[in-house]
Amino acid sequence: MSKAILQIENLSLSYNGFMAVNKVTLNVAHKTIHSVIGPNGAGKTSLFHCLTGVRRPTSGRVLFDGKEITHQPAHRRTCTGLARSFQITSLFQNLSVQENLRLASQGRDGDRALVFWRSIAGRREHMEMADSIMERLGLTQKANIAAGDLSHGQQRILEVGMALCGKPKLLLLDEPTAGMGVEDIPVMTRLIADLGKDYSIMLIEHNMGIVMSISDTITVMSQGEILVEGTPAAVRTDERVREAYLGEAA
Amino acid sequence: MLYIFQILNGLGLGMIYFLISVGLTIIFGLLNFVNFAHGAFFMVGGYLCYSLVALTGSFWISLLIGPLIVAFLAWVSEKTLFHRIYHLPHTFHILVTVGIALILQESAIIIWGPIGKNIAVPQELQGVVTLWSFAYPVYRLFLIAFTIVIGMILWFLLERTRFGALVRAGSESAEMVSLLGVNIHRLFAQTFALGVGLAGLAGILSAPIRGVHPFMGVEVLGIAFVVVVIGGMGSFIGALMGGLMVGLVQSVMSTVWPEGASLMIYGAMAAVILLRPYGLFGRA
Amino acid sequence: MAGPFVLPGGSNLAVAATLVLLPLILPSPTLATEILIFAMAALACNLLLGYGGLLSFGQGMFFGAGAYLAAIAMIHAKVGLLVALLTALCSGALIAALVGALAIRRTGIYFVMLTLAFNQTAYFIAYTLDGWTGGDNGLLDVPRPPLALFGHIFSDLGSPTAYYVFVAVVFLIIFMASGRIIASPFGSTLIAIRENEARADAVGYNTRHFKIVAFAISGAITSLSGALYAMLLNFAPLENIQMSESILIMTVIGGAGSLLGSLLGAGSWVIISDILADIWPRWQILMGGALILVVLFLRGGIWGGIESLLKRCLNKKER
Repeated sequence: MSKAILQIENLSLSYNGFMAVNKVTLNVAHKTIHSVIGPNGAGKTSLFHCLTGVRRPTSGRVLFDGKEITHQPAHRRTCTGLARSFQITSLFQNLSVQENLRLASQGRDGDRALVFWRSIAGRREHMEMADSIMERLGLTQKANIAAGDLSHGQQRILEVGMALCGKPKLLLLDEPTAGMGVEDIPVMTRLIADLGKDYSIMLIEHNMGIVMSISDTITVMSQGEILVEGTPAAVRTDERVREAYLGEAA
Repeated sequence: MLYIFQILNGLGLGMIYFLISVGLTIIFGLLNFVNFAHGAFFMVGGYLCYSLVALTGSFWISLLIGPLIVAFLAWVSEKTLFHRIYHLPHTFHILVTVGIALILQESAIIIWGPIGKNIAVPQELQGVVTLWSFAYPVYRLFLIAFTIVIGMILWFLLERTRFGALVRAGSESAEMVSLLGVNIHRLFAQTFALGVGLAGLAGILSAPIRGVHPFMGVEVLGIAFVVVVIGGMGSFIGALMGGLMVGLVQSVMSTVWPEGASLMIYGAMAAVILLRPYGLFGRA
Repeated sequence: MAGPFVLPGGSNLAVAATLVLLPLILPSPTLATEILIFAMAALACNLLLGYGGLLSFGQGMFFGAGAYLAAIAMIHAKVGLLVALLTALCSGALIAALVGALAIRRTGIYFVMLTLAFNQTAYFIAYTLDGWTGGDNGLLDVPRPPLALFGHIFSDLGSPTAYYVFVAVVFLIIFMASGRIIASPFGSTLIAIRENEARADAVGYNTRHFKIVAFAISGAITSLSGALYAMLLNFAPLENIQMSESILIMTVIGGAGSLLGSLLGAGSWVIISDILADIWPRWQILMGGALILVVLFLRGGIWGGIESLLKRCLNKKER
């Protein structure tokens, strides 16, 4: 087995003594879809924040592509190939779909984008990247529409596309279907499954249906700790998972 | 002895600054509204004092009616204009109130002329009293006592009445208060009128000491923001302490190096924003 | 705030035509020069406010600094015109970068108050250093050296018309450069930061660096305009530093987020003040009213209004 793209070692995060994440060790393998699920308050979002750099973990390490990133600030992680989507849609609302994606692609330049004497046209690759992502998302028709004028489902898809523009080695998706209508969910599911062929994906998700159908590996969290890890089939039949979820379902 | 004189002066000046700033801070706290026209209303108060004294011959009538007129003006402008822009970012509050301040300032010049006016100290309060070994103007002592009483009434209003409870609760979450079935629009308008009325009152009280001129609003607006920022946006105690601090610094420095006072207070404001973003008495 | 609007054929041509027409329409070339100088200051303010979403009350400080530093360089170091302007440009960029770096550590109202605090501090510093600045009286006898390069004199700039031509050329360069800046990776990122700073951060931009550079560019242009103003008046008044509010109002009325708007805003400000100054000295009341109306009803300013009218006409033709 090749070395994992993301290695989480003994990661803990506590808020005033409350252990939101408790000694979690987890590896995401190359070009797989690895989902993290669990009932509310299981620590999924806290774990996610440690990975994106929003929160500093209390202890433990995060290795990305073999390099330690535990204390790197958020914008630097993006440059190294770790891209994220937001649970709450966060787009440049008044700018066109194409410009949203172009800006996201240009973000890889970091401070090199400070050039104020060059024209945008000088960096063709960002425009091409935007066009190819639009193609993949099925948003080419909407290229010149302001992001804020898209339907909710399309905005969620664009949100994922923004993360793709960073040519990520790993995609962190935080509840991509949050707040989506029933009719939009299959579109998103298909998109993520499709992306799984080319990218390594870590998916934080509440919706069991999606997770079971597209994941290669599933980690179930409960009360800040890892409960079970395995293939969808194994997780589906696991007693402990059923118990953890039954508590919530009741 | 000179220093006691300056400290008393600073106390009076500080209480004036407190009255202006507490209005600004209440409005910011409850309405989340940045009022760059606050100083202009202070100036209007000063000119109303001049006109009312000229009209009625009595400072006391102007002290009674003046703040009410300013508060009414504020209430009208809140009802017709300001309430429309609460939902916009602070940038827009600033631009619109800068516009209002400009209109008020130019209107004052149209009505009262570009040159400042002096207002006589009311007869009952003329003269000096001998404190220890020096003479101190009676009016300034009255000013200190009167503003302390106003401050206490205000504290009572904000801490011990239903209105005050609503204002404080609304500062935490305006949405919550409106869910309790309170008419939030009325509460906002009342608070705005109260806050601006206090600036008007400060304008009237300071008129017999410093006179009035069209550009006093701009000067005092800067100071009021310094006080509010140093004390902490939305904090009553902060406005009091900040006002007194700025007043004392200005008064004591005025004999030594007047420009230094301004440098110091603006420098202090920058330092507070950078080092203690919520002010010395504000909550995070 | 309106988005970038591209005139077919380029707004540069429209501006160039305006620059030729201005002195022909207006009663004096001095008035036209004044318009262009304030238009430059408004343009710089616009880069911060209209494109970066940064409301700065520090523009007067940059304007004043440019006037003083160019004048001091000419009076004490006896430098020529171009060196004096370059001094203003560079020191303006430096001062603005410093002020910006401190101010952007906070956001919203605290950011605005910081710019205001620095501006007031600059005012009192200039007031105190009266040996250099002339204090309350302003700095008198500011020279206007001839336009010379490597010992070759092109023009002595003595006549108002000659000076107008020089300022017009500088303005055209600044205008075209600003257009370029907005269409650059930097400019597009600045707009992105205005739209959604958290998102800009998440896609990989260090937003602080972009804001600081925006300040530096804005400060450089504002200082340059301040220096040109001092040479126009042969005088650098202390009140220059209190110009922040006027510059802001010109920018917003003309149209925050459009470069042509800044020219329109400065133009209407200067022309109205010139026409009304003698008849009705309280003309600024109109500006206060216009500012409120623009914020409430015409967010794109005068240019935004013209733009939507043009669009409506074009649409009718198509039908």
